[in-house]
Amino acid sequence: MKWLNLEQLLYPLQTLRPVALDPALDHAALCTQALQLAAGLEQRGVRRLAVYLEDAALLAVTLLGAWRAGVQVLLPADLQPHTRLRWQNEVDLWISEHSQDHQLEGLYEAPLAAADLDLDSCCLSLCTSGSSGEPKRIDKTLRQLANEVVALEQQWGAELGDACIISSVAAQHIYGLLFRILWPLCAGRPFLRRQLPFPEDLQCASRQHPSFAWVASPALLKRMGENLDWPALRRVRRVFSSGGELPASAAQTLQQHLQQWPTEILGSSETGGIAWRQGENLWQPFANVRLSQSAEGALRIDSPYLPEGHIEQSADAVEFMADGRFRLLGRLDRIVKLEEKRIALPLLENALLEHPWVADTRLALIQTNRASLGALLVLTAAGLHALRNQGRRAITEGLRTHLHQHCEALALPRRWRLLHQLPFNSQGKLPQAEVEALLLAPRGTGPEILSQAQQGNELHLQLAVSVDLACFSGHFPQTPVLPGVVQIDWAISLGQALLDGPRHFAGMEVVKFQRVVRPGDLLTLNLRFDRERGKLYFSYSNDGEPCSSGRIVLEADGE
Amino acid sequence: MSVPQQDLNRDIKLLIIEALGLEDISSQDIDDDQPLFGEGLGLDSVDALELGLAIQKKYGIKIDADAKDTRNHFTSVTSLAAFVTAKQAA
Repeated sequence: MKWLNLEQLLYPLQTLRPVALDPALDHAALCTQALQLAAGLEQRGVRRLAVYLEDAALLAVTLLGAWRAGVQVLLPADLQPHTRLRWQNEVDLWISEHSQDHQLEGLYEAPLAAADLDLDSCCLSLCTSGSSGEPKRIDKTLRQLANEVVALEQQWGAELGDACIISSVAAQHIYGLLFRILWPLCAGRPFLRRQLPFPEDLQCASRQHPSFAWVASPALLKRMGENLDWPALRRVRRVFSSGGELPASAAQTLQQHLQQWPTEILGSSETGGIAWRQGENLWQPFANVRLSQSAEGALRIDSPYLPEGHIEQSADAVEFMADGRFRLLGRLDRIVKLEEKRIALPLLENALLEHPWVADTRLALIQTNRASLGALLVLTAAGLHALRNQGRRAITEGLRTHLHQHCEALALPRRWRLLHQLPFNSQGKLPQAEVEALLLAPRGTGPEILSQAQQGNELHLQLAVSVDLACFSGHFPQTPVLPGVVQIDWAISLGQALLDGPRHFAGMEVVKFQRVVRPGDLLTLNLRFDRERGKLYFSYSNDGEPCSSGRIVLEADGE
Repeated sequence: MSVPQQDLNRDIKLLIIEALGLEDISSQDIDDDQPLFGEGLGLDSVDALELGLAIQKKYGIKIDADAKDTRNHFTSVTSLAAFVTAKQAA
């Protein structure tokens, strides 16, 4: 295998050199097609091109052809109408597999001569969602991309050998573009044209090649399932993962099945690759990437994959080891200061998650008389069992004791809110302000109404008893149960919908409490109002078993 | 359509709603032959992965990782029901 620099990819070789498979494309044919496209773009006077192609081989032809013709290329993230509108004034021509756009073959003319590509004048623009949600354009020179593929080859080229590159990710983004197309092109490794998003397709493709490597994403790797032919897949030379965080449990499962750890790549559209890791917590910076920290402790990146002279300041807090490797501590807004001590909330959250009672948690700073931490907590089944049988204090004290192995006492949460689940918003995010608001709110007193249906003078409700009602703390500290008086309170307040006018409490009849109601229970409440007698009949049941029932006498106001 | 078939279709719709956490949608809102992915219900490939895991778990069946185009069975509720029935009979 002969390495070709990115700027020299347009010269055909004397020997066969596979580029893509299914159907096969040889390097000589790639050169011809790219040079034909270059001629077509030049004749049409195109200066700026937008490309969206799912076929990686066609995308390779388009990129090389456009660069040969000195055309700027924009890779939009999708072809949605809004996206087209957003870029239409910056683009002369669209190429895609969509009928409304130009198709590649329709643009071919008699080929231009092969030539070196100019590393500094050739440009590529990637699109990513900015922090405001508005798409953001990131311009790169060919030099930045060329620097990165050379570094990748130095890092892993020897062991990948002639592996066929099989991928589950789109090539419109930096990771897919580099790992699926540009790097294999320069190295002479064949790649599959299509993105394979499902495990069975990945397996099917892998079995057809004596050697192969995966360019995958966490979305796929954490959902591989169990019934794959793992012994056959163990031949995979390397499993790359990037684009988001791969859960440690998913990495572990892959290691068990494949007997190798996935290689995670940390990077962004702006910076390209920053660091990598394989089966470890610590990140290893890429060889040419120089990292440092801002005064606030956030990662600064100086790299040949960035524009010349540009240093990228990230919002990710990091901690460096003596050997240059580093730990990610989370976004900077998740680092708080308590009495001059810097506390990384994600570290404490991870420590809490190790406890068998904790299903999920989120911490925030609470500013009261003195600043302290508060924790939103979702309990596991074991945690709920402990809450019901040992009480809330046993939970919070147990978790504080557990956390104390990881941090100083000052960082131990003082306020806890037990929730059914964390309130992620529609983007899957949980803004820190929301966490703070939940922690500042007092503990609840009412039921959570799951459903209700009224029929005449009857009301049927499904209720969830929150695990964290204020009344549980005193009733009883070690075995919280829903007090009878609270059940009657709820019946009266929910029964208001049935009443004919303002009434007030005047007594109770045949009230029975048969079964205790505990935190986390789901209840059915049936209410019926007998107007003539002025009585509200209530009955609570849990899974068909009666909990309590009785009649509440309600007198009309003024009687 | 027979009653067991209707039940299976409804169960699969409920499974889709639950596994994918679809809000503000009930089983009545999904037609048997409506495309689930792309335009139709607007699900994506990650949803397909999640749904694949949920179907295998709920019905104790395995998606044949050796067969080609197994995800074609995920086109609609009808095709998923046929897939589950065939797998359970096998």
